[in-house]
Amino acid sequence: MNDKRQDRRDAELDRLLDLARRDSPDISVVERNFETRVMARIREGREPWYAWAWRLVPVFLTLTALLVGWILFFPSTGSEDPGTMIASGIQEVALVDYLTGE
Amino acid sequence: MAVPSEDADLVRSAVAGDDEAFAELVRRHKGTALRIASRFARDHAELEDLGQETFLRIYRDLRTFRGDAPFVHWMSRIATHVCYDALRKRRREEKTVSLEILSAPVADPSTGNASSARQARLILERAMSRLKPEERLVITLFELEDRSVREVADLTGWSENLVKVRAFRARQALKRIIGGDDER
Repeated sequence: MNDKRQDRRDAELDRLLDLARRDSPDISVVERNFETRVMARIREGREPWYAWAWRLVPVFLTLTALLVGWILFFPSTGSEDPGTMIASGIQEVALVDYLTGE
Repeated sequence: MAVPSEDADLVRSAVAGDDEAFAELVRRHKGTALRIASRFARDHAELEDLGQETFLRIYRDLRTFRGDAPFVHWMSRIATHVCYDALRKRRREEKTVSLEILSAPVADPSTGNASSARQARLILERAMSRLKPEERLVITLFELEDRSVREVADLTGWSENLVKVRAFRARQALKRIIGGDDER
């Protein structure tokens, strides 16, 4: 009984394989100009990292323009100067030290 | 430019930096590489990926081609390994694929015409998607491509005994899947 079932399955699988063997998948669509695309991939992979740098030029130019615009339209005041802020902080500490007698 | 006639000459020129020589190699052998990959690809996009990956690896390893066997044999081995890698990757991605792919309605492929051949291939593809990558590889090469044990061993790098064992196990597994009593 079990052997018969095995035989039936073997026959079924063989029939499927035999039929499937006759059906070759269609490759014509991919085959068209395939070598052109492969060569493009190869050339792309060959580019050194700095070959991409020129593509970042517009980004750097935009950032520079924004920075220049910011400086021109919002000029910094004295109190925002980091050097002044540090100096006034030191004076404050010295004054506190003097008043508390330390 | 005069194109050298032998593959070995083209390989030498390509290694020396001649892109046109490599393009000629691709042009000559794309059919073979794509036919191997087509048995494993699910659609045209995947076929394109497998084909391109094959030739990118060939380009990368071109210096290791010794020329003691025909270029097409060396290329077929690389194509087979690319497909095997893709099957293993797909297996990791498809761990959660449901069983319903096998229960989708399919017509009886017993009529023997072209559409029934396609139908049979679809049934087998569905069933084989549940095989282990090495089982799928061996059943495709051995049963669908009709290659000999020796050829399969050469393409995969496995011993002939291992090919026989894996082919037997793959067939048993496929019968269980098609019979509907597979517990994978």
